[in-house]
Amino acid sequence: MLSALLLIPFAGALGLLCWPGELATERIRRAALGLLLLQLLWSLRVLLAFDASDPGLQLQESFAWVDSIGLDYRLGVDGLAMPLVLVNAALTLVSAICTRDLSQRPRLYFALLLGISGAVNGAFLSENLLLFFLFYELELIPLWLLISIWGGANRGYAATKFLIFTAISGFLILGAFLGLALVTGQADFGIHPVTTAQLGMGTQLVLLGALLIGFAIKIPLVPFHTWLPDAHTEASTPVSVLLAGVLLKLGTYGLLRFCLGMFPEAWALLAPWLAGWAAVSVLYGSLAAIAQRDMKRMVAYSSVGHMGYILLAAAAATPVSLLGAVFQMVSHGLISALLFLLVGVVYRKTRTRDLEVLRGLLNPERGLPFTGTLMILGVMASAGMPGMAGFISEFLVFRGSLAAFPVATLLCMVGSGLTAVYFLLLVNRAFFGRLAVTPPSGDAVADSRLDVRLPAVALRETLPALALASGVVGLGVLPWGLGKLSEQATTAMAQLPALVAAIQGGGLLS
Amino acid sequence: MRPIPRSPKPPLTFSGGLPSSNDLVETLLAGRTLLAESPDHLSQVVDVLESYGEVLDAYSINLIYQAEKQFLNPFPVFRFLDGDHSPAKIWRHLLHDRINFEYAEYCQKAMLWHGTGGLDAYLDSEAFAANCAAIVAHKTRRDPLLAVLNPLFPQFLSELIRSAATTHALGQFWRVMSDLFLDLARAERDGRVDSIAAVVTFIKEGLVAAAGAPITYAVEIAGSRFWVLPPEAGLSFLMDVAVPYVEAVFLRGTPFLGTVSFNAQAQQISPDQAQFMYGALYADPLPTMGSGIPPSLLMQDMYRHLPERLHQTYLAGIRGAGDVRVKICMTFQKAMFCVTNAAIAGTFPHPLDSDVPAQQAANRAYAAAWAARLCVARTDCLDDPG
Repeated sequence: MLSALLLIPFAGALGLLCWPGELATERIRRAALGLLLLQLLWSLRVLLAFDASDPGLQLQESFAWVDSIGLDYRLGVDGLAMPLVLVNAALTLVSAICTRDLSQRPRLYFALLLGISGAVNGAFLSENLLLFFLFYELELIPLWLLISIWGGANRGYAATKFLIFTAISGFLILGAFLGLALVTGQADFGIHPVTTAQLGMGTQLVLLGALLIGFAIKIPLVPFHTWLPDAHTEASTPVSVLLAGVLLKLGTYGLLRFCLGMFPEAWALLAPWLAGWAAVSVLYGSLAAIAQRDMKRMVAYSSVGHMGYILLAAAAATPVSLLGAVFQMVSHGLISALLFLLVGVVYRKTRTRDLEVLRGLLNPERGLPFTGTLMILGVMASAGMPGMAGFISEFLVFRGSLAAFPVATLLCMVGSGLTAVYFLLLVNRAFFGRLAVTPPSGDAVADSRLDVRLPAVALRETLPALALASGVVGLGVLPWGLGKLSEQATTAMAQLPALVAAIQGGGLLS
Repeated sequence: MRPIPRSPKPPLTFSGGLPSSNDLVETLLAGRTLLAESPDHLSQVVDVLESYGEVLDAYSINLIYQAEKQFLNPFPVFRFLDGDHSPAKIWRHLLHDRINFEYAEYCQKAMLWHGTGGLDAYLDSEAFAANCAAIVAHKTRRDPLLAVLNPLFPQFLSELIRSAATTHALGQFWRVMSDLFLDLARAERDGRVDSIAAVVTFIKEGLVAAAGAPITYAVEIAGSRFWVLPPEAGLSFLMDVAVPYVEAVFLRGTPFLGTVSFNAQAQQISPDQAQFMYGALYADPLPTMGSGIPPSLLMQDMYRHLPERLHQTYLAGIRGAGDVRVKICMTFQKAMFCVTNAAIAGTFPHPLDSDVPAQQAANRAYAAAWAARLCVARTDCLDDPG
């Protein structure tokens, strides 16, 4: 059943690339949309077959692929991966829907989109470290191409920077996986926390450090974040949606699954430092967002800040905080995708994202009032307003982490307050006041005489954002569904250090 | 594969030219129109004035009804129903399927507050005070609530009567203007008006014809008739109501949040009402339909009566029906410049073709006074074809 989640996008991508003869852009787009819809429906089928009361991996599939190097094809899904698979399916579909006016190579574009979605599914579902790494790296080149071919004016720089950073990330992760195989002597590349617990603390710390930095680049956490604002600024809207909503989650998923999941003892040792790192990341991301005048960079820096919450939750590693981490991954996926979509609409209509230029976009007749309304909803959700997804995730993260790391949690709460600061700056500058989409001329009378004629936003352009906004509110009002889905898995993960210690202490290994 | 070349995108902002004060003086003295001459302008102005005429008809009927039938009514709940209290009318009113009479009240309040011209002078006179005293004495005998209120707040009922007098006068003014604008539309259809200059002339002649019409107002209380604005006050249409109306509604207006960011404590609003520049000729059309912006009500009312030709012109714009009220507001400003143009032309102290230097100087000074105020108004619409 899980293999279909890889087969649909990969076979679709291959089919699109190899289809003989010319294909009109719209037909290619429709074919991609059909495949992605099928992937979403199949993900929902997996959800129906998933047993939320079972904390372990389910629906497993495996066969020995390249046995000699320990590369087994082993898939499974648990309460941690299931929501992310759903988010991946939904957001890739949204990305494809909001792809319009492709200037070139539509076949390649949609094939890459499908390829990324399949690779992300593979990474979330892999039970084998090498297989995870394979999929982790597989999404790298398509994304690089998506930025460097369909990106903005400075796309070459941004794409190369992204490639270098994530290549180093991959190198560190692969190094850690190979190192683990080397020191344990087990080359099956399975996830065995009890085996790693037998290693010396020094070895554990070295391997964990490599993984931490590898995933910190991907998430990204300060100071490894510099590729993200550039990549977002130059990427087209659908790619930004995918990048923020799905691809960053590979990093946070890796943090939970491989760092916390495989090195619980070393993790516990580093946890206070990690909590401090989270606070620095949150505060730095938030303060940097305040300083931005490009709407997209502001949203990108907000991602840097909000990913810090997940590190804090993972550092605390309590059942509540880890559930909060899952909520944060999902809610950040939806909210950041929503914000990037809306920034994309603003940019398409006004041809600028400059907060020193844009004014009054909430103007009811000549502005973008519905886009503005959704933007206000999105920033409120991001700032953690009750009734929306952001509140649930931040509340769970803070509630679960406060007892373990009170200072770091309080600092992260300050970061949450700063989210309101920079997003209110964004809304106040771009959406209130007299409508304007050109830089002020310095002559107040001449500026007040400007007649702004923006094209209207069609309903089909707003529908993806509306769907995401509904998801954000839905998750905020009815969080129990996701809670039930992940609670067993996150609780089991929180109990892992105690379990490993009990097994070791009880001599069960001898 | 090479990128597909895209068509050049249209500019997102436009700005009409801003004529200088001297340009306007020369235009007025030469008898040229402020609004640029073009077939588009002609059809837009005539059509928007036709819809305005329809709206003014409703406003006028309601204002006169309010002043006569809701006189000194402390709870005028049904004042917008024009005396029709049928369930169907009330239901339509509740569903807001109606004209926004609130805009008419807004204009009336502006006139009362700015208070210029002969009407305002009469409202502060002894004769008016005597009329009020007689009315209040008669009314309070039959109305226990007013009988209690009057000794507690002796100026209250007089002020209500002043307000009612302005309401009635505005109703009479708009009656004339409504008929004039509807006649203008008929004249354009008949081919008698075929240019902006002809529009201005038509309006000027209409104003001049009505200039001397008396403005009077009487109320009936329990079978007795009382003059509020008696014939002997000598109030006339043009100088006592039309000119104060232009001053209060076209020029001064009142600031309101949404178009002007103001802080009265910091003196961002002039303490001198004569310096106000918030009227229709200065109003920014872009915030139309923003919350709490009164002209939005007028634009919505005019939208209900928009002639098909103008409607189709608006639908052809980039936003179609989406920004139709802003477009109505912009066209309305063009039309109001024509009306102002007609009012100025009709009130020059001397004929424009006079050879007498003193008369020429007086005309120039008159034109300069108007130009000084108009050059900072929304003159960008004057040569804007859109």
